[in-house]
Amino acid sequence: MRRILSNLSHWWSTLWRSMLNQYKQILHDQGVMMFFLALPLLYPITYTLIYNPEVVTDLPMAIVDHSRTSQSRELARMIDATQYIGVSGYASSLQEAKEWAKERKVYAILEIPEDYARNLGRGEQSVLPLYTDMSLLLRYRSILFAMTDLQLQLGADIRTQALDITPAALFTAPKESVKGVSTQSFFLGDPTQGFASFIMVGLVILILQQSAILGVLMLGGGARERRRLHDGIDPEEIAGPMSASILGRGLSVFTIYMPLTVYILHYVPVMFKLPHIGDPFDYLMLMPPLLLSSIFLGQILSAMVSERESSMPVFVFTSVLFLFLSGITWPHSAMNPLWSIISGFVPATWGVEGFIGIDANGATLADMSTQYIMLWVLTGAYFIIACYSERWARSYDRRHFRLPSVP
Amino acid sequence: MRKAITDGFRQLVSRPIYILLMVVVPLFGAWFFLDLMEEGLPLQLPTAIVDLDHTSTSRRTARNLAASELVDITYRPESYHEAMKLLQQGKIYGFFMIPADFERKAVSGKETTITYYVNLAYYVPGSLSFKSFKTTAVTTQGSIMMTSLVSAGVGEQLIQNMVQPVVTQSHPYGNPWMNYSIYLSNSFVPCLLQLIIFQITAFSFLQEIKRGTSVLWLKNAGGSIVKACMGKLIPQYIIFATVGMAILSMLYGFSHFPVNGSMPGMVAAMLLFIAASQAFALFICCVIPNLRFALSILSLVGILSFSIAGFSFPVEQMYGAIGIFAYLLPIRYYFLIYINTALNGYELFFCRWDFVAMIAFLLLPLSMLWKLKRYSLNPVYIP
Repeated sequence: MRRILSNLSHWWSTLWRSMLNQYKQILHDQGVMMFFLALPLLYPITYTLIYNPEVVTDLPMAIVDHSRTSQSRELARMIDATQYIGVSGYASSLQEAKEWAKERKVYAILEIPEDYARNLGRGEQSVLPLYTDMSLLLRYRSILFAMTDLQLQLGADIRTQALDITPAALFTAPKESVKGVSTQSFFLGDPTQGFASFIMVGLVILILQQSAILGVLMLGGGARERRRLHDGIDPEEIAGPMSASILGRGLSVFTIYMPLTVYILHYVPVMFKLPHIGDPFDYLMLMPPLLLSSIFLGQILSAMVSERESSMPVFVFTSVLFLFLSGITWPHSAMNPLWSIISGFVPATWGVEGFIGIDANGATLADMSTQYIMLWVLTGAYFIIACYSERWARSYDRRHFRLPSVP
Repeated sequence: MRKAITDGFRQLVSRPIYILLMVVVPLFGAWFFLDLMEEGLPLQLPTAIVDLDHTSTSRRTARNLAASELVDITYRPESYHEAMKLLQQGKIYGFFMIPADFERKAVSGKETTITYYVNLAYYVPGSLSFKSFKTTAVTTQGSIMMTSLVSAGVGEQLIQNMVQPVVTQSHPYGNPWMNYSIYLSNSFVPCLLQLIIFQITAFSFLQEIKRGTSVLWLKNAGGSIVKACMGKLIPQYIIFATVGMAILSMLYGFSHFPVNGSMPGMVAAMLLFIAASQAFALFICCVIPNLRFALSILSLVGILSFSIAGFSFPVEQMYGAIGIFAYLLPIRYYFLIYINTALNGYELFFCRWDFVAMIAFLLLPLSMLWKLKRYSLNPVYIP
C-alpha cells in the first residue's frame, strides 16, 4: 500500500516538475516563443487582411455590341449595375476584345448578336456568347452568378411586357400565372458569400494545430541537440515515469494556448465580423482535445527531428496538405478512401468540421459529437504512442551518442 | 570552383533530410493534389430534399434534381427542422424544399415558393449544390408556367421563347470542364516547390554558420563568396530543375492538363522560376544570416505565398497595401506566365514583363552578398 502511494506521489511530482521545467524552457527560447505566441497572434490577422475584401466586385468585362440598339445598350447598363461586373468598354470586334483580355484588361467578354433587338421584338430567343477567363474560379463564379441572375430578371421583365400584348391577355390574367411559382435561396454558414468568412473559420483551427506542433518539434529538436552534446543524456531532463513527463510537458503547452485560443476563436471573428454564431461553451469545449492531440502528435513526430531548426523544413509544408485533407475546399464525400482515412488521423480535420458546425452553422456540441469523440480518441492514442516513441528516442540517443561526436 | 561544387553535392548527400525534402516532398505533393482531385469536380455531393407536397409534380421535381450529376439525394427528411439539423452537422451541403400544397397552388395560379438552403461554409460544394438547386428550381418554375400558358391559349413556340428570351452561352476559356484540379494543382504544386526551395536554400547555407564551418566553406571556395554560393546553388539547381521537369510532366503529361500555348515557354518559366526562388531565398539569407530567423521568415513567406499570390482571391481586389506584396514573390510571375501560356494559349509576348521580373530576382542577392561573407568569416550561432 505504501509503495503504491509513494509511486503515485512520485508520478505526480514528476508531472509537476516536468510542467515547470517545460515552462522555463519555453520562456527562455525565442524560437519556440515565436511559434507559441507570435504565430497564433499575428497569422490570423495577416490572413484575414489578405481576404478581407470578401467578394470580388466590378470585374472588368468587355462588350462587343453588334446590335447597337437602345435594347443592347440597356443590357450593358444592367450588367454594369450588378455588384460583380463592371463594363470596362465597348470593343469594336471580338478580335479587339481578345487583345484586351491578353493584356489582362478584361476577364470576360460578352457578345451581343446583331439580331438581339429584332429577336426581342419578335418574341424569339437570343443567344449571347459569354467568354470568361478561367484562371481564378472566384472570378468565373462571380461573373456566372451575375449573368444568370440578370438573364432571369431580363426574362421576367420581357415576359411581362410581351404577354400583355398577346391575344391571351384578353382572356386571362397572364401576369398572375407567371408569378405563381417563385424560388428563394438561403445561405448558411457564410450568408454574405465572402471569401474571408469562408476560409478563416477553418484556417484558425489549422493555425492552432500547426503552431503548437511546430513549437513542440522545436523543443524536441533542442532536447535532441542537448542529448547529442552530453553523451546521449539531456541534462535538463526530469527523471521519472514517462507518462507523467509527457503529460506534464503537454499540459504546460496547453495552458499557454488557453488564452490564445480564446483570442483566436472569439476576438479575431469579432474584429473582422466573420461568421461567429456558436455558443462559446460549445466551441471552447472542442479545444482541449484538439490542442492536446496536436501536442502529443508533435511529441511523436519530434523523434524524427534531429535539430531545432530542421523542425521547419520537415513540417511546415504539411500545412498545405492538411488544409485540403480537412475538407473545407475539397469535400470528404469526393475523396478516395485513402485520403479520407489519412485525414482522420489529423486532429485539425475533426477540429475544423466541429468548429465550422458550431461557430458558422450554429450547431451544438451534441450535434458535433462524432467530431468531439474522435478528437478525444486521437488524444488518447497519441498520448500512448508518444510515451513509447519518446522512450525509444531516448534510448536510441543514449546508444548512439555515448561517445561525444560531431555530426 | 569544381571543389566548391563537389562540396555542395557532398552536403546534400550527407543527411537524408535534403534528398527527402528536395525530391520526395515536392513529388509527393504533386501526386497528392492530382490524386485527391482526380475527379475534377466533386460530384454526387450529399444533399437532401424535403417534399411536403407528395404529389406527382413534386416527385418529378425530385427526380429532376436527382438526375443532376453534381448532387446525390442522400436523405429525404420529413420536415424542415430535420433537414436543417443535417445541414448544420455538415452531413449534407444543402437541401431543397417543396412546400405543402405546391401542385394545387401552382396549377391554380396562386403564389407558392420553392426554397433551397446551402451551406456556404463549405464554399465549393456549397456553390455547386446551389447551382443544381437553382437550375432545378428555375426549370420547375418554367415548366409550370408553360403548362398554365398553354392552358391560357398562348402558342407553344412563343412560350418556349417566353420562358427564356435571353440566354447567355458560357464559354469558359481554357478550362471548359471547370475542372477544379486544373485550376488548383497548376498553382499550388509550384508554390509548394517554392516553399521547399526557400527552406532548403536557407538550411544549407546558414547551417554552415550555425556549425561554425562557414570559415572552411569560404576557404575551400578560394575565399570568393560568389564561388562559394555557386558551389551550393548549382547542385541544388540541378536537382530542383529535374524535379520541376517531373512536375511539369505530371501536370501536362500524365494528367493531360491543357497546354494551349507554347510548352517550351512553360519549361523556360519553370527553370527560371526555380532559379528566381533560390535567388530570393539567398537574398533573405544575406540580409538575416541567422539560421532559425531566416528559416522562419522564409517559411512564413512560403506559406503566405499560397494566399497572397492570388491563386484563389484576385490580387487586384485585395487591399492595395497587401496586394503589392504579391509582386515580391517569384511564384506570382510563374503563375501569370502559366495563365497566359498554358491555360489561355496567348503568345509569350504578353508575359514578357513577367520573364523580365524573374530575371531581376537573379540579380537581387548580388547586392547583399558582402553581408553573408562577413558573417561567414565570423560565425556566431544564436539559438
